[in-house]
Amino acid sequence: MSDLLTKVREGLRPPAAAGSGAGSGRWLVPVVWLAIGLALLAFPFYLETFWLRTGLLAMAAAIGAIGLNMLSGSTGQLSLGHAFFLAMGAYGYCVLAGDPDGPATGLGLPPLLAVVLAVLLTGVAGGLFSPIAGRLRGAYLGIATLALIFIGQHVLFNAHDLTGGFNGRVVPRLEVFGFVFDAERIVVAGVPFQAMEKLWYVGLVLLLGCVLFARGVLRGRPGRAMNAIRDHQIAAGVMGVPVARYRGMVFVISSMYAGLAGVLLALVFERTVPTYFSIVLSLEYLAMIVIGGLGSVGGAVLGATFVSMTPLILTRYSEALPLVTAPGTGGGFAPGEVSRFLYGGAVVAAVLFLPGGLARLPAAWRARQRARRPAGEAGPDTQRNEEVPR
Amino acid sequence: MNSKRRGLPAVAVAAATAVALTLTACSGKAEDDGGGGSGGSGDTASEGDELVTGPGVGDDTITVGALTDMTAAYATLGASVTQGQQLYVKEANAAGGVCERDLELVVRDHAYDAGQAGTFYAELEPDVIGFSQFIGSPYVAAAKDSIDANQTTVIAQAWTASLLGSEYIHMIGTTYDIETINAIDFLMNEKGLSEGDSIGHVYFEGDYGENALEGAEYAAEQVGLTVVGQAIKPTDEDMTAQVTALARDGVSAIIVSAGPRQAASVAGVAAAAGLGVPIVGNNSAFAPQLLATEAAPALLGEFYIAAPSLPIGSDESAPATLAEAYTAEFPDAVLDMGVVAGYGAMELFTEALRGACDAGDLSREGVAAAFGELNAYDNGFGVVNDFSAPDAPSSLESYILKPDAEAPGGLVVEAEGFVSDLAEGFPRG
Repeated sequence: MSDLLTKVREGLRPPAAAGSGAGSGRWLVPVVWLAIGLALLAFPFYLETFWLRTGLLAMAAAIGAIGLNMLSGSTGQLSLGHAFFLAMGAYGYCVLAGDPDGPATGLGLPPLLAVVLAVLLTGVAGGLFSPIAGRLRGAYLGIATLALIFIGQHVLFNAHDLTGGFNGRVVPRLEVFGFVFDAERIVVAGVPFQAMEKLWYVGLVLLLGCVLFARGVLRGRPGRAMNAIRDHQIAAGVMGVPVARYRGMVFVISSMYAGLAGVLLALVFERTVPTYFSIVLSLEYLAMIVIGGLGSVGGAVLGATFVSMTPLILTRYSEALPLVTAPGTGGGFAPGEVSRFLYGGAVVAAVLFLPGGLARLPAAWRARQRARRPAGEAGPDTQRNEEVPR
Repeated sequence: MNSKRRGLPAVAVAAATAVALTLTACSGKAEDDGGGGSGGSGDTASEGDELVTGPGVGDDTITVGALTDMTAAYATLGASVTQGQQLYVKEANAAGGVCERDLELVVRDHAYDAGQAGTFYAELEPDVIGFSQFIGSPYVAAAKDSIDANQTTVIAQAWTASLLGSEYIHMIGTTYDIETINAIDFLMNEKGLSEGDSIGHVYFEGDYGENALEGAEYAAEQVGLTVVGQAIKPTDEDMTAQVTALARDGVSAIIVSAGPRQAASVAGVAAAAGLGVPIVGNNSAFAPQLLATEAAPALLGEFYIAAPSLPIGSDESAPATLAEAYTAEFPDAVLDMGVVAGYGAMELFTEALRGACDAGDLSREGVAAAFGELNAYDNGFGVVNDFSAPDAPSSLESYILKPDAEAPGGLVVEAEGFVSDLAEGFPRG
């Protein structure tokens, strides 16, 4: 598989660079990544709170989507219970780090420890569900996980001591080695840093860690086993892949990703509310990975960014957009409706025209460019898409 | 290939980071004078005498924020409230504005979503003097720290007691607990409910229904009634099971702290089952559209609504003028309680701005102080409000309304505004 990937990449290199020896044409890739990385690091110095919050929501969504993509995209298991694990991470952190003297139950643990334990807790919850996750396949698992959403919503609304009920509970501030990520202003290079500026870097570190870990898993032996299960579970079993164990394991990893995403979301929200963690949220995560590209880490990040930022940006700039009307002026569509149409349309478009999602866009474009050149130089068959489950 | 890529940028990253950091000197976010956190006061407008201004106040405009929901659970309410506010802003600007400035209403639809509500609050907060509308009590509660720290005055479109206690968050009228107590008082005095009877209470899970239930349980304990609670979810629309259970328990009245659809279902099922008991809903349990459904005959029977102000269909001058102006401005829109709530909130906010202007302090502190002065505010909708005590609702008064197919907005007054003795004695703490 990795040989194949290397070959694909060799084939996709622009012909000019391909002629001049290995490595010399690669300078573009690290430079682009470097520029993106620097921009991400510099954002808190330039962007207003709106954009930082939006970006942080996208980062949290990206972490959750990577987890779901490992489960659904790479292993072919449908889960509608992602919102449950997000809620578990968010509320788990609140309970573990919460003020013991506050209105809701809190254990008062150090916040950093609470983050780790909250993620482990969602992992345990995923583990408890894994006997089911290991046995059921594809859509059947989706139906089973639906139960988690309803149980979760019931508990969130009614376990007042634990969750604060309908109005939710306050999220304790993150504190890492004495540095508190609160709203207090500290001035860095002339720019005042408040909660979102500080959290931005936490989000970046967590997202980077999650991306690297997921790539490590997907590109290694476990990733190949997962893809084998997705493509043909009997063949995978015959080749010695313990199918049920793998399915259970991926479910646990995916729920831990959701848990971490939930913690980050809670830190951004500053108050967790049960209405957020509904079935709609699970569906949004599925939309993210389909739009972004099933089975690819970059795709999950792209899809999460698209789905989580679209409604916010549309609403903010509704005055300037055609067809979209500012709230309350009547006629046309409200921005919230338009964003639903937009990513509904994006899901359909991705399924019909771009089976690999946004992540395949550059490759598809390059393939088209090459197809215009004289035949004979064409690389490997990029129409065949290994990353889409049957 | 990995090894090559890895080695390359290490030094470059460090160097470029340093460059990026020095570049931030040009950032628009950088502070000029290091005078951080003063809340932006100190700009003075040359209007003869010195007027202190703050965020949201320019030379010609005063910007007010509105965080609404026009796509999700509260879409109907949000649309009415927002249009009511836009109508008031238009009228006020036509009449010369406030403090020689035009009002500008910036509306954001947060779709009742935690991510969007907080984000739009964060977006608008630095540029507005306050919020004349904030739908969604959980999100108001989430923003409470920031509201208190930045002294941003907010009028929340919610009537739940959980938001009481901040001098910057205001709600207009009674909270649901008091409203329910008044409703029970009405049932005892006018509908023959007496000690020893039991009443059914169909309520939403969540702060609206649970707050109402608190009121019902308090009133029941005081006068010797039994409350039979039926918790429902906003997605439950068929109330057959609940009403059947209440009928089996032999209730003498039903209180509905839910949405219009649930109220209509309760009334319809009760009528069909021959359960002839009076039904009272909170103000959110009615929408004029219901009178065009097959539940209409049941609703026109023994069905009442407790509300914090006169209905828009009243023939008093303020509601009648508003109804006429609103219909002229938005011919297709529905006249409901949201119009009164929105228009009233904007009028109240503007009143506070005028007070702040007269005091020469159009900063956020000035607006908050002006709100504190409004201890007998009457906007012509039948209730006198007191905004000087953060721990108490602005009024304890309720009107009892009755559906009427002929009236604009579908409601007419059944019992004039009153405060029950029970409500006076309700402990707040």
